[in-house]
Amino acid sequence: MIRLTIDGRRVESRNGEYLLTLARRAGIEIPTLCHHEAVEPAGACRLCMVEITRPQWNGWSKLVTACLYPAEEGLIVKTSTERVLRTRREVLELLLARSPRAEAVRRLAAQYGILEPKYAVDQEGDNCILCDICTRVCATHVTGAISRVNRGVAKKVATPFDEASDVCVGCMACARSCPTDAIAFSQDGATRAIWGKTFEVVPCTVCGAPTVTREQARWMAQRKGVAEEDFYVCDVCKVAKTGLSCRKVMW
Amino acid sequence: MKQTLATLPVLRAKLKEERSKLRCIMVCCGTGCRARGGMQVADAIRDELSAAGLAGSVPVELTRTGCHGWCEQGPIVTFEPEGVFYTQVKPEKAKEIVASFQSGEPVSKLLFRDTKTKRSIVTYHEIPFYSKQTRWAMRNVGRISPTEIGQYIARDGYKALEKVLSGMTPEDVISEVEKAGLRGRGGGGFDAGRKWRSCRKAKGDVKYLICNGDEGDPGAFMDRSIMEADPHGVLEGMIIAAYAIGAREGFIYVRQEYPLAVEHLGMAIASARENGLLGENILGTGFSFDIRIARGGGAFVCGESSALMRSIEGKPGEPRAKYVHATDRGLFDRPTVLNNVETFINVPLILDRGAAWFAALGTDGSKGTKAFSVVGKVNHNGLIEVPMGMSLKELIFDVAGGIPKGRTFKAVQTGGPSGGCLPEALLDLPVDFDSLTEAGSMMGSGGLIVMDDRNCMVDVARYFIHFLVEESCGKCVPCRDGLKQLLEILARITKGQGREDDLDKIDSLCFVLTEGSLCALGKSAANPVLSTVRHFREEYEQHIKDHFCRAGVCRDLCRYEITDACTGCTLCAKACPVECIAGDRKQVHVIDQSKCTRCGSCFDVCNFGAVEVRSAR
Amino acid sequence: MESKLMHVFPGKCTACRNCEQACAFAHLHEGRPTRSRIRADADPQLREGKHVLVVCYQCDAAACVAACPANALWRDTETGAINHIAERCIRCGSCVAACPFGNMRWEPLAQHPSKCDLCKGDPVCVRFCPTGAIQYK
Repeated sequence: MIRLTIDGRRVESRNGEYLLTLARRAGIEIPTLCHHEAVEPAGACRLCMVEITRPQWNGWSKLVTACLYPAEEGLIVKTSTERVLRTRREVLELLLARSPRAEAVRRLAAQYGILEPKYAVDQEGDNCILCDICTRVCATHVTGAISRVNRGVAKKVATPFDEASDVCVGCMACARSCPTDAIAFSQDGATRAIWGKTFEVVPCTVCGAPTVTREQARWMAQRKGVAEEDFYVCDVCKVAKTGLSCRKVMW
Repeated sequence: MKQTLATLPVLRAKLKEERSKLRCIMVCCGTGCRARGGMQVADAIRDELSAAGLAGSVPVELTRTGCHGWCEQGPIVTFEPEGVFYTQVKPEKAKEIVASFQSGEPVSKLLFRDTKTKRSIVTYHEIPFYSKQTRWAMRNVGRISPTEIGQYIARDGYKALEKVLSGMTPEDVISEVEKAGLRGRGGGGFDAGRKWRSCRKAKGDVKYLICNGDEGDPGAFMDRSIMEADPHGVLEGMIIAAYAIGAREGFIYVRQEYPLAVEHLGMAIASARENGLLGENILGTGFSFDIRIARGGGAFVCGESSALMRSIEGKPGEPRAKYVHATDRGLFDRPTVLNNVETFINVPLILDRGAAWFAALGTDGSKGTKAFSVVGKVNHNGLIEVPMGMSLKELIFDVAGGIPKGRTFKAVQTGGPSGGCLPEALLDLPVDFDSLTEAGSMMGSGGLIVMDDRNCMVDVARYFIHFLVEESCGKCVPCRDGLKQLLEILARITKGQGREDDLDKIDSLCFVLTEGSLCALGKSAANPVLSTVRHFREEYEQHIKDHFCRAGVCRDLCRYEITDACTGCTLCAKACPVECIAGDRKQVHVIDQSKCTRCGSCFDVCNFGAVEVRSAR
Repeated sequence: MESKLMHVFPGKCTACRNCEQACAFAHLHEGRPTRSRIRADADPQLREGKHVLVVCYQCDAAACVAACPANALWRDTETGAINHIAERCIRCGSCVAACPFGNMRWEPLAQHPSKCDLCKGDPVCVRFCPTGAIQYK
């Protein structure tokens, strides 16, 4: 068992979890924008900075990202020192200048007292803060259709060569996981468009309501070794069918 | 033929014996000299040698060497063992050179002329640029043909490996390197022995060894020179390290922009394998280790160890947090040791000559020698290897020949774009890992860019930040967006649009870069700005408040005027590219400000100090 | 631990929809029966007065769990319920498509799936059912 303190509270960890997990379990709030439980941490947003020290460090301390720093015996963690707060504020200033319209950024910045960015605002800046949640989610759990491309200020999330992806199944996990709603998509009845690719959302074989894209059904069927058609009934019709079969049994 | 522990010493003795009787003409065919026609010079000398029929009693050899590290003097031709040194040789001079080789009479026109004494110097032993250096890491640079393993073996090559495999345990090797106090030459200066030890201790059967030859600092080329000129030295260091940590596979990460280094390393790996020095069952001892070359795309960030490993794995070159060390989880999540080219080339020296010998070189905290790439406003641009602890002053003024054209020294940028600018007041600083870090700069991989009073420090900071904006991987917020904001502010200041609160904003941005960035690139990116603000704050203030760039670099913030000191020599009028200087001979000249582009050519050519830089207002 | 099971008696159901109201209030703090996790519908295909009453079976070999690529569905060992962990969910909708019974629904406002979690061992629908059509024992 690893024992450490976070903001003066004694915390225990069995298997060297990350500081962020431990802090949140102890009810200590640490802001994040690039953290997602479903994927490995990336340390991209730099908001979860905390200050760590040890008695034998003689007053020396350093800032680390809580999302990536594993619990260590005897560590003293402080989550809201002036050094931590200043770093967070400056990071939020930069994010707000980059994506002034992103609601999640605005809300968090306001919490830290920033209403107007002090740096030059990128008027053409989109909502993407390159937290990489979408790319990690897609690569880890779906088909890896999108990735980070280019470098530095030109960096963005895209499909290979910005062309319609061969492997995207149109599941929308990327768009729905995005903390700043930065991924454009459209859904119009039986068609869905995302990442430059248009998908047919297969109508329910009973009532005709949209179910899932053919590509997603195929991908799921392949993974689970079941028939693709199993996925083409909407939940309302499935409930009705279930009810019917129940009644047959009961009556 | 595959060598064994028994046959290698015999081979070495035979090669030594053969080569001691040789006289060599060595032509530098490194990247710099090739660009200036080194290969043609070598071919011309070859033809001339066969025409002269020099096959008599003394065997003669024409050797194409790797880069000497003094490209400004190239193509370089030397005679061994005499040490005669010819500079800037053209193919037409082949006949004279061969004649001089036969007669012993030097070709005076091709000799090096000392800038201070104006005297010609015959051998490189007497040229201060060489005589004041201590070349250990670069011991074979320019002395052997990098494509022939025999020449390396004859100069005590693979002797250290032989010693290691003849009875030293991995533990012995690590202790020896620890005792020598070898610190990583790539930038961080981490204790190499300690790194090896923790990797050796790490759990896992598969361990990797990586040689970092990415070398991205603008103007730095010591690793390139070593890889091109002495590839076997790097391999030997790696094989010994692999034995120490228990690795069976290694990678040399070289950028594609170093084609000659890639070629020579590839040839060296092949010939080391043929000779039983690499691959399965090395020297018949049962120890196996092999090396592959991984070619990089030339991204600066891929010199950062964790980004480099991602690049080898075939992923985007993005760093990751190092809270778990690479020695526990590095390449492909296996325990990995990564060291720089220069670190590895020091390893055979330590094992061959002993830790005590190595530790006697350098300072308390920084042992051994360090190769620097000295460029910028110095008389001799090139590679300079000196013992750690030499003062910056000695390095710049004695070895590199001082500042040209009698101008005054202003600053020296150490450690490349991530380092800092040090002013004249710090010139007595000893060059070692700790002193430079303390002064707000860093050793980095050993780049030194010397600047004189014609360099604007704000513009220098802007230049480096621009470089880093281009090279930031873009993964984390402070580095990606912070550098962009920083560049915008610095560019604004150099254009005369600086604002009162800009210095405060610069301070905030430097804070978040240093504290908040994920990797060393971002953490040290503020150094050029922090150090110039710290040591040259008045220059920033002059730019912002007085709209004046005293160095005459920021064109919106200066104008040139000719004072009464003008003798009417007309030199400035001739130099002016837009012909905006008027005046009769022996009369004071006048600049037409409406046409002047503020290029500063007049200022640079004037011998009387009659051209002055003034505020644009 | 032998966990309790949800027992459904469609014959006792009057489609009063108290269960739906209770469920929506308990999980969303507003009474929108359409967003309830239990369904008590008058089935148009059946005779007048007959109703369907459907709630998650917490299947042993659950299709939703198998379909989830992100391991966001976990069985609570105490209650036996398969719980949806919103933090781990990547919102791909695979579970909704995979459930053969229609018990995994899409929550349109929160944009993630929702399912019966047995209210941590004390299902509110059971408490509010006036006829005993749903029992937890």
